[in-house]
Amino acid sequence: MHREKKDRFKFFSLVVTLLLLLALVGVRQAAFSQNATKSPCSDCHVCPWPTAKEPCLKSCTRPEKVQGPISAHPGPDVTILGQLADMYQLVRFNHKLHADMVGMEQGCTVCHHYATSGKYLSCRECHGKKPSNPENLRQPSLKAAYHRQCLSCHREWSHQTRCTLCHLPVPGKTAVTLDSTDIIRPSHPAITPPQTKIFNTPYELGPIVTFHHQEHIDRFGLSCANCHQKENCGNCHDIQKAVRPAKSMEEVHAVCNNCHRQDGCNKCHDTKEKPKFSHAATGWPLNTYHSKLDCRACHPTGKKIARLDSSCKNCHSGWNPGNFKHAVTGLKLDEIHSQLDCVNCHTERNYSQTPNCSDCHADGRSHIDSPPGERLKIK
Amino acid sequence: MGNINRRTFLKFSVIAATLGAAPSAKSQENFSGWPERYGMLTDTTLCIGLNCRKCEEACKKVNNLSRKNLNLSDNSVFEHKRRTDPENYTVVNRFPNPNKPETPYYVKKQCMHCDEPACASACLVKAFKKTPEGPVIYNKDVCIGCRYCMVACPFGIPSYDYFDAYTPQVRKCTMCYDRIQQGKIPACAEICPQEAITFGKRKDLIALARERIRSHPERYHPHIFGEEEAGGTSWLYLTGLDSVQLGFPNALAKTAYPELTRGFLSAVPLVLTIWPVLLVGLYKFSQSRQVKESPESTQNSVEESHAGSNGKPDN
Ligand code: SF4
Ligand code: SF4
Repeated sequence: MHREKKDRFKFFSLVVTLLLLLALVGVRQAAFSQNATKSPCSDCHVCPWPTAKEPCLKSCTRPEKVQGPISAHPGPDVTILGQLADMYQLVRFNHKLHADMVGMEQGCTVCHHYATSGKYLSCRECHGKKPSNPENLRQPSLKAAYHRQCLSCHREWSHQTRCTLCHLPVPGKTAVTLDSTDIIRPSHPAITPPQTKIFNTPYELGPIVTFHHQEHIDRFGLSCANCHQKENCGNCHDIQKAVRPAKSMEEVHAVCNNCHRQDGCNKCHDTKEKPKFSHAATGWPLNTYHSKLDCRACHPTGKKIARLDSSCKNCHSGWNPGNFKHAVTGLKLDEIHSQLDCVNCHTERNYSQTPNCSDCHADGRSHIDSPPGERLKIK
Repeated sequence: MGNINRRTFLKFSVIAATLGAAPSAKSQENFSGWPERYGMLTDTTLCIGLNCRKCEEACKKVNNLSRKNLNLSDNSVFEHKRRTDPENYTVVNRFPNPNKPETPYYVKKQCMHCDEPACASACLVKAFKKTPEGPVIYNKDVCIGCRYCMVACPFGIPSYDYFDAYTPQVRKCTMCYDRIQQGKIPACAEICPQEAITFGKRKDLIALARERIRSHPERYHPHIFGEEEAGGTSWLYLTGLDSVQLGFPNALAKTAYPELTRGFLSAVPLVLTIWPVLLVGLYKFSQSRQVKESPESTQNSVEESHAGSNGKPDN
């Protein structure tokens, strides 16, 4: 009996050890394969053992788009490309127009996929003349880099490849006619976000979806690219929008689901238009300052929005009569009143309620005709 | 693929026995070929086709083909599917893109330069050669005009030039063999404004194609056409759709086609036994040039065509 127990224990510990070993190996392999999916070190580093101190970076390497925000920098309005001056007129690339538009997408990185911390490198600094360059097969030549970049959008919305959009023949050679749509306008008209969008959907229980677009921008501090991640020129400029296939259910809901995955259908779908969110309906009308905050300032993200304790001290714990500037409320207290303690007037510590003058003054004065200081206009 | 089958083994022995100095790296992954051989990678998601067809033009230029019927701005050519012919070693066809109708796919078609070419296997006089550099080339001087190659090719590539009664010949893309030998790259790869065609070592191109599929899974159908099809080809394709939707032959065997075409040929024993003898006899009679080695078997011809090192008719 005892022996059997000992055997069982032995077996058990063996299994545990094995499992532990397996887990360890698994972790090691996971870490390794994660590395392995990245591009080889030599893509970016010249020396075999780069260190933080001496990373020995190549100047032009990264084949993929660099992710993440890149500080906007004032680019040129127009860039002139003259490499083929003997065959065509100079190519006038309206940089500003394009920069305006990519704001709707991934910003500068749409084209400047190699982003250094300083000035952007020009395409020419990496992309050479040689097609199928055996040194680096995956890097297109300058010619192909330009063409791929331009045509990936221009072909998509125009359903055309119009060489003459960029390449005007040198006068004297075969004339190519140009229509006026080929003339590039100086900059993109400002893109104004809509206030509210109403969608009619096939969902029977709640066909109407009201999307308060501007409110999302204001409340959540969103920029265009936060939601418009798969935007492209064709979405606005397509000459034949009808040929574009309808979006799938999944695609339609994808953007909302980024934040509202936990919410039910009723969050958006209703039988009638939904009003904007009103904080007053929660029992707490927000004053001038609070109404300007984005929700996350008071309701931390990642959690369900919970009812907060609405007493000022809940957030403004540092306020006391010595450091609270009463002027921010729109009333600059006069000398006498500014000597008082808060509770002298706000007797119940209810700061959203206007104090009652008759608590101290027997002359029947009211807050309206004789305020305890100077009324200020607050924005 | 991946394992050495009996035929490959036989081939080794034949080559080893007859030549003594067979290329050393015969045991490469799939095709027992020259590991450093070149290839071409056409990325059909990059080709713009419309108003372009520069590859067709460049091809005609370097091969001295008639440019009479070439009008690059005539986009009506895309309304029907074209095939290669004696005037056009390469043609670009259009296929609808169901996911993005506004950008259809354009697919450049030309000889695939098979690693184990069916045309060479079917040829009775060893007019086709798989060169160590990669291209499958044709020698019009020994061709007897039987057109077996045209029947054998799984891609329907070789075409026959009927127009000149004195020098009839089979015509197809050469992968710019002479340009490669001069250190240049094939004309279509050089001209393509999108670099939809990349020239390089076949193994590097496969690595490049894999990388593109891996980093843009939404853009590519996860398969490199030509890596294994027909026993592997020098010309590789990256596509956004299943290759069948882009006009590539359906259900292509993953084994080399010489195997299959031999079956076809043996079904016609009369042709196999009498026809060659007769034709070769006639040929030898009519030509002053002597063909030193008589075609003993179709098998031999493909072996030797593999072993040939520089594309000249004799080794
Ligand atoms: S030159 Fe390139 S882009 Fe133009 S049709 Fe040929 S393969 Fe396509
Ligand atoms: S079988 Fe056809 S595709 Fe293959 S090399 Fe011969 S002609 Fe070219």
